Amino acid sequence: MSAQTGPGQRTLVIGFIIVGILFTAFFGMRVFHAFRKFDGHRPPPPGKVETDVELIRDWMTIPFISRMYQIPPEVFFEALNISPQKEHEKSLEDLNDEYFPGQNGYVLKLVKDTILVHQPRTPDSAPTAVSPLTAPAP
Amino acid sequence: MSEFLLTQVINFGAPLLGILVFIGGLGVPLPCTALVIAAGAFARQGILPWYTTALISIVSVVIGDSLSYSIGYYFSDRVLLRFSGTPRWIQAEQSFQKYGFLSIFFSRFLVTAIALPVNLLSGTTRFPFKQFFLYDILGEVVWIFGYGGLGYLFGSEWELVNEFLSNFGGLVLGLIILGFSIRQVIKWQENIKQKKVEA
Repeated sequence: MSAQTGPGQRTLVIGFIIVGILFTAFFGMRVFHAFRKFDGHRPPPPGKVETDVELIRDWMTIPFISRMYQIPPEVFFEALNISPQKEHEKSLEDLNDEYFPGQNGYVLKLVKDTILVHQPRTPDSAPTAVSPLTAPAP
Repeated sequence: MSEFLLTQVINFGAPLLGILVFIGGLGVPLPCTALVIAAGAFARQGILPWYTTALISIVSVVIGDSLSYSIGYYFSDRVLLRFSGTPRWIQAEQSFQKYGFLSIFFSRFLVTAIALPVNLLSGTTRFPFKQFFLYDILGEVVWIFGYGGLGYLFGSEWELVNEFLSNFGGLVLGLIILGFSIRQVIKWQENIKQKKVEA
């Protein structure tokens, strides 16, 4: 490197090269893993009602899940023993924290089980051995 | 953070998404790309109307970007006092005037991490606002319709799309940093060779 370039500048560029290599390696690995997960997934056909309960997340609300799986929201509130009037905007995590503290993931599990029980069976849906669940009074 | 925001987007819809992408345009680090992909999925599920959501998001983010451009434009006195007129600044200014449109366009959707620095730099280097506005809108349209469209296409499996695209952005950023650094090293080596020849 020429005399025009000071040691500070050289250090900076070397630092950038190291950061660039680290970024490329780190995100390259993550892209590779994400691609492997993504590969083989095709967009679902339009109008398909969701049946995979493993797609339910803690941040979802009951009305959202109700729409996604086409099950009336009252069914979930009834299973959870929660008044449907006031809890429409709360996530499953918030409902869990408020009504079932100390039982981590309870609402999520109950919602999944409720879907498996109430969703109409389609020819391609897997058979399930889940009995109807109702939460204890909170 | 992103889980809380997703719940709120479900509850408050397109107006909230508009506010969030506007704040994101101002440089506050929010998971806006994930929200846009998720919004596409929510549109497919009938939670959000896709046309109003897309329109509100594009308008909001472009206003946010324009504001951060104007911050660079009007509040760059210190930067200009320190660097204006120096050969490096002139060189940086010239190259931004020449290639800035590419940075503006691609940083809207591909390397969103550098969107704010690009907005500020555009303002500071006096990149023509009309051109900034044009490439900003084009880039944001690709972001909203491209990423949101993928979310729409994959519906409830949008998280797979998000995982791939967000990491891909990081990979591109790494390659850009690496590319520019190596280019700088090559330039230095060429200078050394030239000096040797002259000597």
